[in-house]
Amino acid sequence: MHRQSGHRVLLAPLGGLLLLAGNIAHADSGIGVDMWRGNVLDPRGGADSRPLDPRGTSWLSPRQRRSPSGNLYLCPAASPEQTKLGEWLFSGSLDIGFVGVSGDEDNALWNRYADWEDGFILGLLQLEFLRPRDGSYASLRASRISDDDAYFDAMFGRAGSYKVHAFLRELPNALSDSVRSIWNGVGSNHLTLVDPLQAGASTSGQVGAASRAAIERQISVNRSKQGLGFSIYLDPRWSAHADVSNEQRKGARPFGGAMFFNFPFPDNGGILETLRPVDDATVNLNTGLRYAGSKWRLDFAYSGSFYRDRYTRFDYEMPYALSPVIPGAVSAPLQRGQFATEPDNDYHNIKAAITRKLGNAGEFSLTASLGRMSQDDSLIAPIDCQGVFGIGLGGSLQLGPQNPFLFDCSQWNSNAALPRTRADMRIDTSLVDGRIVLHPLESLSVRAGLRFNREDYRGSWLAFNPLNGAYGYVSENGAQGSVVPGEVGFWYPGAGASNLTRIRNLPLDLQTTEATLGADWRISEGNSIGADLVVNRFEPGNREREQVDFRRISLNWTNRALDWLTLRAKLSHLRQSGDRYNYDPYEFTFSSSLPGFVEPEGGVPAHTVDALRKFDLASRDEDKFSLIATIALGDDMTLGASLNGMRNDYDASLGRQSYDTHGGTVQWDWQPNPRFMASAYFGRDFSTLELANVNDQALDPDPSLGGPTYPLDAVWSDRDRQRNAYAGASFKASLKRVAWDGNWTWVNARGSNNYAFASPSALAYFSDGSSVPGNAFPDTRYRVNAISMGLRVPLGERLSLRVFDTWARGRFEDWHYAGMDETRVIEHRVYTDGGPRGYRNNLLGMLLQVRL
Amino acid sequence: MSAANSATRGLTQRTLLLLWSALAMLLACGQAGAQTAALDLAHFLPATSRAQATSPADSPAAGFANARVAVNPAAAGATPVGERMCIACHQLESDHFTHTFHALGLHAASKTDASIPVCETCHGAGSLHAQDPTSQGLIIGFTKTSGTPIAVQTATCLACHEGGPRDHWSGSVHQRNQLSCSDCHNPMAKFSGEGLLARSSINDTCAQCHKDVLVQFHRRSHMPLPEGQMSCVDCHNPHGSTTSPLLKTNTVNETCYQCHAEKRGPFLFEHAPVRENCLNCHTPHGSNQHALLVTPLPFLCQQCHSSTRHPNDLQTPQSLISGAHPDERLIGRACITCHANIHGSNAPSGPRFHE
Repeated sequence: MHRQSGHRVLLAPLGGLLLLAGNIAHADSGIGVDMWRGNVLDPRGGADSRPLDPRGTSWLSPRQRRSPSGNLYLCPAASPEQTKLGEWLFSGSLDIGFVGVSGDEDNALWNRYADWEDGFILGLLQLEFLRPRDGSYASLRASRISDDDAYFDAMFGRAGSYKVHAFLRELPNALSDSVRSIWNGVGSNHLTLVDPLQAGASTSGQVGAASRAAIERQISVNRSKQGLGFSIYLDPRWSAHADVSNEQRKGARPFGGAMFFNFPFPDNGGILETLRPVDDATVNLNTGLRYAGSKWRLDFAYSGSFYRDRYTRFDYEMPYALSPVIPGAVSAPLQRGQFATEPDNDYHNIKAAITRKLGNAGEFSLTASLGRMSQDDSLIAPIDCQGVFGIGLGGSLQLGPQNPFLFDCSQWNSNAALPRTRADMRIDTSLVDGRIVLHPLESLSVRAGLRFNREDYRGSWLAFNPLNGAYGYVSENGAQGSVVPGEVGFWYPGAGASNLTRIRNLPLDLQTTEATLGADWRISEGNSIGADLVVNRFEPGNREREQVDFRRISLNWTNRALDWLTLRAKLSHLRQSGDRYNYDPYEFTFSSSLPGFVEPEGGVPAHTVDALRKFDLASRDEDKFSLIATIALGDDMTLGASLNGMRNDYDASLGRQSYDTHGGTVQWDWQPNPRFMASAYFGRDFSTLELANVNDQALDPDPSLGGPTYPLDAVWSDRDRQRNAYAGASFKASLKRVAWDGNWTWVNARGSNNYAFASPSALAYFSDGSSVPGNAFPDTRYRVNAISMGLRVPLGERLSLRVFDTWARGRFEDWHYAGMDETRVIEHRVYTDGGPRGYRNNLLGMLLQVRL
Repeated sequence: MSAANSATRGLTQRTLLLLWSALAMLLACGQAGAQTAALDLAHFLPATSRAQATSPADSPAAGFANARVAVNPAAAGATPVGERMCIACHQLESDHFTHTFHALGLHAASKTDASIPVCETCHGAGSLHAQDPTSQGLIIGFTKTSGTPIAVQTATCLACHEGGPRDHWSGSVHQRNQLSCSDCHNPMAKFSGEGLLARSSINDTCAQCHKDVLVQFHRRSHMPLPEGQMSCVDCHNPHGSTTSPLLKTNTVNETCYQCHAEKRGPFLFEHAPVRENCLNCHTPHGSNQHALLVTPLPFLCQQCHSSTRHPNDLQTPQSLISGAHPDERLIGRACITCHANIHGSNAPSGPRFHE
C-alpha cells in the first residue's frame, strides 16, 4: 500500500517564499536543527583549511590571551586575500582531488556516516563576496565525497538587516555490511522469498542454504535534506524569522518478523529478521516574530512538522510451515507476515514568551506553548491471509463446530474487521513556564520558577470485530493460534471466552509540575556559590503510579578568582518517591475486563510480579557531582580536567537496582607560537547498571514474590559494567608556506554482563545451572585506533597541494552476533544482519587547492 | 486511498498552503512595509525606554546602524576615541577583525555615519584606556585577566543580542556558572565557518568544558557529531531554555522528533516508557550497545518486564548461536526481533508490537 506524498504542496510555496522574502535567516541556537554543515573529511566545515597567521594575534603581546574561563584563545588564521570586483570584495578557494581507500572499504563501522569511494572528490569550495559599502554579503560552501555524502550551503544578506540561507545535504548512514537476505525486494514494502524457497513450505535446511548462498551486502538509510531560511530586522526591536526544510530518508534496515516462538517448539514457529523499507519525507517549519526592547521582550513562534511515509504497511513471506502442539492436528498454512509502518503525522506548536526586565538586572518571563501531534492513517487489516488460520483438529482444515480453533481469514483480512478504518489518534500538549530572577543585593541573586507541562492523549481504540463479535487482535500474524490452540489473540464467546488478550489501547496522559527556587551569592568578583531546590511532581495516566515526586537539592561553586585556575563544582542529591505502587494498572486493557469473560480454571494468571518496580517510576536516591577545572600552565599551555559521578539507588526488590556512572577527562592544549598548536586528551568513564528479576514457575493468579508463580528460588540478577577509555592528540604547524597537521584517535570500550541466580529455576534452561561456568557473557569490545596526517605544500602563488592519509583499525566483538559468520539460520530462526565487524583501512588523498 | 482520506489530506494541505500564504504575506510586509507593520505592532506594547533606537529606514547608515558605545562602569568618564585611534596600537587585531561579520556591519554603518562606533561598540569608550593602556578595566575586555566583570561582558553583548535564542540567558546554568559570551565566541577573528565561535566548530567549543560528553560520541553507536554532520546545538541551546538540560524544545521527546519524526506517532498502541521519555532506553551521547541503548538486550527490557511465560528468564551464553540451545530471546536483536515495532505500532494486531 502506497501513500501519496503531501509534500509537493508543502514545498510549492517555498520558492515563492524566497522571492517574497528576500530577507531571511537559518535556524538559530533556539530553534530547529541543521546548525552545522561538515563531513568526515572536514568536520569543522572549512575552518581548518586556512593556514595559521605567522604574525600571531597581537603585536602588543607575544602571548595568547585567555578566555574568561581560562582557555587560550586560538591563534587566528591568515587573513584571506581578497580581490576587488567593482564594489564587492571576493575571496574563495577550491579544493579538488582524489581519494583512494584500501582495506575493508565497505565496512559499515568505517562508513557509518561517510561514503568513501575511490575517485574524484570536491574537498571544499568556498566563495565569499562582501560589499563594505552597505554590509551586504554572499557566501557559498560545498563539499562532495560521493553522491550520498555531500553538502551545499549558501547565504546572502546584509549585516544588521536580513539574511537568506539555503542548504542541500546528503547524509549517509551505513547500518550493516553483513546482510544476507533470503528475500527479494529489499527496500520495497514487499519481501518475497528467493528461489527455490517456498512460502510456508520450506525446511530449515533449505532456508539455511539460501542464506549461505546470498551475497553479503551493505544496507543503509540515507538522508537527503533541503532547507531554506531567513531572518529580518523589521526595525531595531522587531525581527522575524522562518525556516523550512524537507528531508527524505531512503533505504532499508534490519527489523523483525514474528511467526511465534521457536525456542520451546523445535522446528516450529518463525523468528524472522526481515529488512524493512525506509522511504519517507519530513517537512519541518519554524517561524516566529520577536521583539527586544529595553524593558520588554516578546517571542512568538510557530513550529510545524509533517511526516509522510511512502508505505502504510510492508509484508514478507514466511518460509516455514507451522505445526500444532496437539497430536493429530494440523496448522493452517500461513504464508505472509506484515507490519504497519509509522503513520503519517502532523505536528503543530505555537509558543508565546513575554519577558519584563525588573530593577537591578532582574527579569520576569512567562512562556506558554500549545501543541498537537496527530495522525489519522489508514489502518491495515488484522491479518494478511487467505483461507483459514489456526489449528485443524484431526487433520481437517474445514471450518465448523468440530474445529473450534480454526478461523476464517475472510473475517479478519480486511478493514471490515475493524471498528474503524482510520487511526484518529492525537496528543495535545500544553506548557506554561514562569520564572523570575531578582538581585536584592548586588552580590545576591535569587530566582524562582514554576513549570507546568501536560500531554493529553486523545484517542481510544477498542479492538472489536463487527464481522464476528470478537474482541482483540490476531497474534503474531496468526502463527500463535496455529501452534497453540486458543492462543489466537482474540476473545470470543464459547471456546474463546477465557482467552486473556489485549482489547484496548493504552492512553498515556502525562503531566509534570515543577517548582524551582535558587540563589547565588557572589562572594567576590570571580567567586560565587549557589543553591537550588527543585520540587517536581510527575503524574502519568494509566501507569503503576499516579504520582511520582522528586526533590533535588544542588549546590554549586564557581571560582575564577585565581588567574591560573577556573573551577566549577556541583553537587546534588535527589530523592524520588510517589504514591502507592500499583503493580498491574493495565487490567482494563485486557479481555478479562469484558462482561462475558469466563475466568479460566485456576483463575487468571498474574500479569506480572508485585515486587517489580519500573525504574522510571520507582523510588530512588540519586547523588551527582561534577567538577570542571581549567588550569593555566604558563603562558602557552592549558590543562582542562573534569570529574563526574552519579549514583542511583532504587528502592526495588525487582527491577533496576542501581545505576552508577563516573568518569573523568584530562585535556592539554599548547600554543607556543602562532605557527604551532597541539592538543591531547585522555578520558575514562565507567557505568554499572544492576537489575533483578524473577522467573515464573507456574500460571497462577498469585502475583507475590515468593508465591507459586514467582518463587524466591527463581530470582536472578544481572550486572552490566561498561568501561571506556579514550585518547587523542592533534597538532597543526606551518613552516613558511608549508602546513602540516596530524590527528590520532583511540577508543577502547569494554562491556561485561555478570549474572547470579538463586537456583537453576531462575534460568531459561534449568540444565545451565550446573553446566555453565563463570556466570558471565563474553565481554563486548569496541576498539578504534585511527591516525591521520596531512601536508600542504605550495605549488605557486595561488596553488597548493594537500596530501593526506588516514589509517584506521576498528575491532568489534558483541556476543549478540557471535556465530553469525558460521550460520544465520538456526532451526526456524533467520538472521539477516551478521552484526558490525572490525576493519583495517587506509585512505590516501590528494587535493589541489586553488585560491580563486 | 479512500475518497474520505483524500479529502482529509487535501484539507490538511490546503490548511498548510494557507499557513504558508499567511507567512509569505507577513514576509512581504516585512519587505515592503516592515517599519509600518512593526510600528503598528509596537502600539500594542508598553512603552520602551530605548528611545534613541531608530529603524534602518530612519538612519542613513547601513549595517549595524544602531550600534552604540558600550557602557563601561569602570570607565565612567571615558569618551570615544574612534577606530583609528584603536588601530594605532591594535593594527594586527584590526586586520583579523576586518574579515569578520561584525566588522562588515560596523564598518558599513560607520562609513556613512562617523558617530557610529566600531571597536568601542564592544569595548566601550577608549579615551582613558588610551591614556593608561596597562590599567585593567578602563576598556571592556573579554579575557580572564581583563578586569571587566563577567556581568559587564555579557551585558555588552546582550545590548545588541538580547532576546530570541538568548531569551532565557538570565538564570540559565551557564549564566549562573559565570560563563561569559566570549568563553564560546571570539568575534575578533574568523575562527569558525559560522557563529564567530572561539573554536573551529560548535562541538569543539562545547568540549572546552564538556570533553567528557564529547568523548562519548566515539562509542560504538553515536549520532554523527565526530563526522561533522551534527552539532551539540542541534539539541541544546547553550544560551538558555525553559528546560534544565538546555533543550531546544519543551521535552526530550520533542527534541528527538526533530530528526526522528516517524517516532512521533501517536500510535494506535503505545509503549509507555517510549511515550514518556526516549532516554528511558537510549543514551543520546553515545553507547557501546546497538542503537544508543542504555544496556544490552534482553536486559534492557528485563528491567521492567516480568510477566509469565517468556520475558523474565535468565539466559546464559548457552543460548547464543554456538551454545547448546540457541534462543531467539538472546541472539541478534533479541527481544526486538519479534517486538520489532517497539516504539509503538499502528497495526490493529500490534498491541505487543509484533506487527
